[in-house]
Amino acid sequence: MLKRSQIDPNNYLIKQLPNATAFLNKKLEVVYASDLWIKDFEFTNGKVIGEKISGLLKHISKDLQKDFKDCLKGNIGSGIKECYNEKDNPKKWTEWTNIPWYDEKENIIGVIVQTEVITEKINNDSNVERLQLLLQEKSSNANIGSWQYDAELNSLWWCEMTKQIHEVDTNFIPKIETCFDFYKDGHSKNTISMAFFEASEKGLPWKEKLQIVTEKGNEKWIVTTGKPIYKDDKFIGLVGTFRDINKQVLTTKKTKENELLLRTLVDSLPLNVFVKDLDSRKILVNKSELNFLGLKNESEVLGKTDFDFLNKKNALIGREEDILVMENDIPMLKKETTNIKKDGTITSFLTSKIPLKAANGKITGLVGISLDISDLKKKEEELKDLISVTSFQNKKLANFAHIVSHNLRSHTANFSMLLEFLVSEKDEVEKRNLVNMLVKASDHLLETLNNLNEVVVINTNVNLKKKSIFLNKEIKSAEKNLRVLLKNKNAKIINTIEDNVKINVIPAYLDSILVNLFTNAIMYKSPDRDPIITLSSSRENGYTILSINDNGLGIDLKKYGDKLFGMYKTFHDNADAKGIGLFLTKNQIEAMGGKITTTSEVGKGTTFNLYFNENN
Amino acid sequence: MKIINSIFIIDDDPITVFGIRKMLSTSVEFKTISTYGNGKLAIDGIKKVLNDINSVPEVIFLDINMPIMDGWQFLEEFIELPIEEKVRINIVTSSIDPADYENFEHYSDKSHHQITFNTKPIKSSEIAAITKPAE
Repeated sequence: MLKRSQIDPNNYLIKQLPNATAFLNKKLEVVYASDLWIKDFEFTNGKVIGEKISGLLKHISKDLQKDFKDCLKGNIGSGIKECYNEKDNPKKWTEWTNIPWYDEKENIIGVIVQTEVITEKINNDSNVERLQLLLQEKSSNANIGSWQYDAELNSLWWCEMTKQIHEVDTNFIPKIETCFDFYKDGHSKNTISMAFFEASEKGLPWKEKLQIVTEKGNEKWIVTTGKPIYKDDKFIGLVGTFRDINKQVLTTKKTKENELLLRTLVDSLPLNVFVKDLDSRKILVNKSELNFLGLKNESEVLGKTDFDFLNKKNALIGREEDILVMENDIPMLKKETTNIKKDGTITSFLTSKIPLKAANGKITGLVGISLDISDLKKKEEELKDLISVTSFQNKKLANFAHIVSHNLRSHTANFSMLLEFLVSEKDEVEKRNLVNMLVKASDHLLETLNNLNEVVVINTNVNLKKKSIFLNKEIKSAEKNLRVLLKNKNAKIINTIEDNVKINVIPAYLDSILVNLFTNAIMYKSPDRDPIITLSSSRENGYTILSINDNGLGIDLKKYGDKLFGMYKTFHDNADAKGIGLFLTKNQIEAMGGKITTTSEVGKGTTFNLYFNENN
Repeated sequence: MKIINSIFIIDDDPITVFGIRKMLSTSVEFKTISTYGNGKLAIDGIKKVLNDINSVPEVIFLDINMPIMDGWQFLEEFIELPIEEKVRINIVTSSIDPADYENFEHYSDKSHHQITFNTKPIKSSEIAAITKPAE
């Protein structure tokens, strides 16, 4: 009874304790428990007093069991964090502080247990731990370190990453007095010192790209930031980040260098280089191309197409080429192109267009390279002209040599033959006949030589200078010389040429040509009609053209065209025809840098077109 | 020696015509000689006798350089005529142009007639040899 009455007040007292407390006997059965303890463990529904703790908690960790045993041996427990799971509840954490329970005689009769629910605290701790881990991970991945400066303690703190960037040991202790020594002398050191001063004195934050020299002597590009922190308006320190950007800077630098190299190369090439997008808009042009377009800045060209610079026909051809190259993925190589700019300037190029592909192999445009071959073309033209002049002269020379040999040979053959007859001839009459023929042959030879000489003079007389004269004046003079012939044949000359037409000629040649052609027109008149000669003039490619049209017999040019201007070629049954007039005319007009052409229709008439070169 | 029925001389140079005639008269036996001033007159003459009496000259002396129709144009037309007999055609020219010789070879290959190339002057001693009917 006494014992019981002793217990009850204890029980009542313990029941009201402000802590979660329980008294366990040596068997670890609950003897007393505070209401708070019962509530914390949610034992409110069943019997607690007299129950074994292991039965109540369902699970007790080995650490807690050992702690109980230690207490029963008289040792103070070490504080056990115990976790248990209620069904449908998240983890619940409790901290157990156990001490031995002594009676009045200092005998151990059990364990006094004090518990505290620490779930929230545990969760907080693990959150902080997680955040720290995350930060560490992040900073190492991004090469971003952090640092702090405590102004009151004058102490500097670097995180692991910051230390790594500086290439110092993990146990290195940074000092504010020496930390700036890592910065490269000059700009970097000056800048960081200034930034630190301004942050601490004026409260200005900084962000600077600077160079450091690490503990191991390596130069690195870094970005450092710093920001002052205040407590109660009082400056208490700085926080900041520290980032290794060496790789990026070097890569950027390298890229810039490569870009510069490429640009210099492209600009210095003696070729026009351009890059076009799928719509044939220029997205890059080099200096040569700019010069060709007559512009100063690339920006004046970018985004524009050939249609902005070249004539429409030219631009259309270019666009078609572009499409062909880009659609079929086939480069166009060394194509000779002629580009005509809007101002009419003509440039010859040897152009290549090559498809431009992105990394994924898709065609995004084209690269064009053009070589200006205008000078080359000009030289080629000059050479062609020279070759044509030379071959023309050569042909003329061969032709003349042929004429000379042929005509002289035919006369000498006659001499030879007649002389052979004469030597063996007995009959006096026949002898005289042969001598007469020899005289005739000799006259013919002399005449031939005179004609040939005339041709030689025309072709070699460089002393005769061309003069600018009025065409009509010369025509009138020729008409006057032929007035008897014109009158006898009842011929008429119709002149439609303006009086102000002037031509550059050797007057004697023009006179000879006009007399010759007028005479021909009358001599080869149609038997059915009176001769009418019509004169007209026009201009074409540096020539003044005089056309002499007649209504005479006409000539079959298909048959005789190639012989018309040959020496001793006659085409009509005319005893007076010697085949020398047109031959001389051709030589004379060619000697003046001109030419002569003919059109004719048998039975209707003939037109001779005389091309007088306007240049000297 | 066989008597030649008909000889044509086609040349615009009267001295050459005179010479050939003179040489023939002393070294060859023939019935007729006809002379034409150019190829056109000659081809018309040949067409006429071919048509009228179905006969052709056995030997032709042909100049190259002539007005209106030259020797080559004459040959071009002549070899197209329906003549079964083999006619001897002696080209007589003062030309030493290789192109003329090539032309001669061209017509010589193209036709069944016997064509020869002779340069002026023709010698009296040579005339009989080239004035034989074609073989």
